[in-house]
Amino acid sequence: MMGDIPVLSLIILLPVIGALITFMLGRRESLAKWVALAFSAAAFVLSLVVAYEFVVDPYAVPGTEIEGYSNGYQFYESHVWIESLGINYIVGIDGISLPLFVLTTLLCMLSVIFSWDTDRRPKEYFGLMLVLEVGVLGVFVALDYFMFYVFWEIVLIPMYFMIGVWGGPNKDYAAIKFFIYTHIASLAMLLAIMAMYFEAGLGSFSMEAIAGESVGFSRGVQFAIFAAMLFGFGVKLPMVPFHTWLPDAHVEAPTAGSVLLAGLLLKMGGYGLIRVAIPSLPSGAQDMVIAMAVIAVVSIVYGAILCLAQNDLKKMVAYSSISHMGFVLLGYATLGELGVVAGVFQMFAHGLVTAVLFMMCGVVQHKCGTRLIPLLGGLAKKMPIAAALMTIGFLASLGLPGLVSFAAEFMVFAAVFFKWELWIFVPIAAVAVTAAYYLWALQRSMFGPMTDKIDTSHLKDVNWYEGIPVAVLVVLIAVFGVFPSLVFSRIGPAVEIALRAFGGG
Amino acid sequence: MLEYAWMIPVFPFVAFLLISLLPKRTLSWEDGAGYAIGGAAGALVLSVLVIGDVLAGNTMVGDGPKFNWLVIANIEVTFGIWVDQLTAVMLLVVAVVGTLVVIYSGGYMHEEGAGRRRYYAEIMLFISVMYGLVISDNYLQMFIFWELVGLCSYLLIGFWYEKPSAASAAKRAFIVTRVGDIMFMAGIIILFKYVGALDFAHLFGEEGVAAVPNDMMILATALIFGGAIGKSAQFPLHEWLPDAMEGPTTVSALIHAATMVKAGVYLTARSYPLLVQAPETLLFVAAIGGVTALIAATVALVATDIKRVLAYSTISQLGYMTLALGAGGYLVVYADTAGGYSAALFHLMNHAFFKALLFLCAGSVIHAVGTNDMRLMGGLGKKMRITSLTMLVGAIAIAGVPPFSGFWSKDEVLAAVYSAGEFDSLFFLLWAMGIATAFMTAFYMFRMWFMTFAGEPRSDYHAHESPKLMTVPLMILAVLAMSSGFALFVGDGFGYFAGESVAELFGGHHHESAADILAHIFGDPLTYVSLILATMGILLAYKIYYLPGFDRSVFARGVAGKLQRALENRWYISQFYDDFAVKVVYALSLVADAFDRYVIDGMVNGFAFLGARSGGLLRRAQSGNVQRYAVIIVVGLCLLLIFMLYVAPGGRW
Repeated sequence: MMGDIPVLSLIILLPVIGALITFMLGRRESLAKWVALAFSAAAFVLSLVVAYEFVVDPYAVPGTEIEGYSNGYQFYESHVWIESLGINYIVGIDGISLPLFVLTTLLCMLSVIFSWDTDRRPKEYFGLMLVLEVGVLGVFVALDYFMFYVFWEIVLIPMYFMIGVWGGPNKDYAAIKFFIYTHIASLAMLLAIMAMYFEAGLGSFSMEAIAGESVGFSRGVQFAIFAAMLFGFGVKLPMVPFHTWLPDAHVEAPTAGSVLLAGLLLKMGGYGLIRVAIPSLPSGAQDMVIAMAVIAVVSIVYGAILCLAQNDLKKMVAYSSISHMGFVLLGYATLGELGVVAGVFQMFAHGLVTAVLFMMCGVVQHKCGTRLIPLLGGLAKKMPIAAALMTIGFLASLGLPGLVSFAAEFMVFAAVFFKWELWIFVPIAAVAVTAAYYLWALQRSMFGPMTDKIDTSHLKDVNWYEGIPVAVLVVLIAVFGVFPSLVFSRIGPAVEIALRAFGGG
Repeated sequence: MLEYAWMIPVFPFVAFLLISLLPKRTLSWEDGAGYAIGGAAGALVLSVLVIGDVLAGNTMVGDGPKFNWLVIANIEVTFGIWVDQLTAVMLLVVAVVGTLVVIYSGGYMHEEGAGRRRYYAEIMLFISVMYGLVISDNYLQMFIFWELVGLCSYLLIGFWYEKPSAASAAKRAFIVTRVGDIMFMAGIIILFKYVGALDFAHLFGEEGVAAVPNDMMILATALIFGGAIGKSAQFPLHEWLPDAMEGPTTVSALIHAATMVKAGVYLTARSYPLLVQAPETLLFVAAIGGVTALIAATVALVATDIKRVLAYSTISQLGYMTLALGAGGYLVVYADTAGGYSAALFHLMNHAFFKALLFLCAGSVIHAVGTNDMRLMGGLGKKMRITSLTMLVGAIAIAGVPPFSGFWSKDEVLAAVYSAGEFDSLFFLLWAMGIATAFMTAFYMFRMWFMTFAGEPRSDYHAHESPKLMTVPLMILAVLAMSSGFALFVGDGFGYFAGESVAELFGGHHHESAADILAHIFGDPLTYVSLILATMGILLAYKIYYLPGFDRSVFARGVAGKLQRALENRWYISQFYDDFAVKVVYALSLVADAFDRYVIDGMVNGFAFLGARSGGLLRRAQSGNVQRYAVIIVVGLCLLLIFMLYVAPGGRW
């Protein structure tokens, strides 16, 4: 056992050290990627250890009983940080954060590999990637609001620079928009946190302690705080109508940036809702159920329809994220165990799948010099591996059974029917549209006769550093598609605890 | 033997893995055909053993090994296998047709070169997931394989993906069937809510059936049948199937005879314990089947592409099966007999053999001539003796001429529909549609045969008989098409055997001796009606397309001409879908895109602009004038007080 080693802190610390080393490499820039790979791989391996040591049934672990709503955390660490303000350093992991935590270390490592040929300011590029990893990891394990907010804000900065420095032609607009938009959302979240802090009156920022009080807040207070949180987390998710920063950010961001943005940053919003907002403010959540459901369904359907109109492969994938993250919110809106578990699983699934999609968009951009679908066509002839990987990614994203997203979507639909019966037909119709835009895009870009609008004479298939990360993800997509219970069984008990305030879910 | 049934799909799946992952040089003959034939044959042998076990009276319904797929809260989804008489019929069809198609491919795909590896890998996956579908013991597991069957047909229809028409057809097939799949999924979810389980043992048991309210049962069964409408190419979702012949002909044979489209019929038959609870749905099933049979047959009358004729005939025959299932449900409910149900399965089996035969013959012809267009063929009979004779066997079988297989099952189907008329007179109308379809079927099949094989060549080609690897499967299938109808009289008889799987749903399941069955068939005047109509259809085709001197241009004039153009345009249904997709859905998406860009994002940018401007304005407010500050403070306080006292009284905030 590794009970005595503060392993979560160690995992967060690794990319910090890595980033510092990378920034200080001086003129040995070419080493940057090796350093980044080493530290992100070390973090990944350690997170696998955490996943392996993680006990599926948390009730069996002695010493994790904590006051408030949230026992069941494992690898728990608690230290006093700033005593006068009631700020503590508390980290812990449960079945909700575990899949996202491992997903983070995995995607960061694969993104480093995928960016292997980055030669533009590599020190800063790889260093920022590691900083980003620190922030995201911190968000997923922090159990103190102050820490949570700090990590949350840390994430914004590297992403802003990744878009603003390594981005496409319209990068300045996209970077500023991303920053301001998500920052306003963070402010709403901060307000909500402060409101909870003062309303609870404990003089502590501990999530568990505050949640113990906040479940008893009056209905109006809960409603107002929940609304602020829904906005704060929802922008990140993103939910319609606060989504327009996303396509702009993706179109301009470098591939690895998009992978991390869609794969991880969006999950922060979904994570915040289930970690903080819903369990702490049960009556607020119940008052907002209809609003959440409507927003979720609009996101799903509207996002899918928008995808159909896109000519840019990457923009289409970006809009598909809006549609698919809508499933997360829809699952949450049922406020039942089935729906919430499915929503959390959908985050994990979407993280794996969308990473493949953005990487393949990156491959197309790299090889063909464009991502505009009307300029592409027949690429499968010259890039069979790329075409196969892209096809698998698209199929996974459209919810093909046997691949990871299906289990999540099916369970979300089931939960929706359990709660709202025939309303299920509104979101379910989007499934057909999803199939349509993906297959249509495939048909126009990969199949059909070879395009003559771009120079295809030197077109090559995927490089090793592009193929391997995608192949790893594809294997995982299949494994978790066939054996979803590997993840479901861990999410379940945690969600049960999170929903305790709702009378057993 | 039954507990090993789960291994049936494993054989082709292993072959799929080997073909797709092994290094190219180890694939040896035909880039993997050896592995493919091995995989298919292994599954065939095991299937035969399992079928033998079922024939001996053993079944495994709900008591087989299980595997926990998903557990959330109190919900448990387990996967397992289910083998009964219905499974056995499907296994037989998939195993025999699948194996023969793979062997035939060894010759047919020879010239494909590097694409063969992908072809064999995908074919193996296709067969594997179809096996998985038919042995599933719950709806969710079935749905998973169901979708994978759809995926494989997508990949195989689009096998020649450089061809724009193939890429488009593959996409259409997937999207159209997915519309049905969504309905299927919704149906499953409805049952899931009320029964709390998805395995057949729970759903079909008395408690399971009783747990679902009546209106929800009607909805759920109709939605599940919606899945069958998509997969089995029933009206109005049938137009993907004729397009699907863009794939290699062997793939068409597999899709039409053994795998994809049969899945829908299988699903409907499998859902019988639920369907009989909802007679409204049964009527809907029957009506869809009847309409499909008739509409598809009319389009086949004018098709000039040999594969398109066969495709529409498949749709039409599937309509028969659906019609029989609908009528059969009525018979189970009101007449205590499984006649319609077993007639549908009987036709499913016979159709699998003769349709696989017809498609593979068509493949042999296309292989030799290099075109699908029957107007460019003619006179092939002398050069391709085996192909022409075996295809003639297939045409006779499908036309319903005794003693070939189609006669027996078609007669059973029509008899069942007619006798269901006793309980709802709509079935008389459906019977009339069925009988009209029988006439048209005989006509267009012989039209096809005469146009292809009789007369003189109408274009310049050097046809030759296909290699043994292709003709031997044809001969085997021809023997089956001739003889599979006699299954009606072997042992307990096919009707009794198939009826066993739904025997729990009604009281009086009894044996009939072969002599009784024969007396029944030939003592019924309706049998002669369909026989005479089939003969007339053949003779008419003979007159128009074989005997010289008939002026076919009469069809192009007047009302007949209008009708012909409607038929040639497939009743404009395909056109309607294209228009719907482009002019409604795509147009809507463009509107949404503009809305997103200019309205929603416009507001965001507008706020940003306002923010920048108001920053400038606010800067001016900080004038340094203390009196002005004081005024602002006082006014602000007043506003705040008013707000707290009058606007938000109670002070919750």
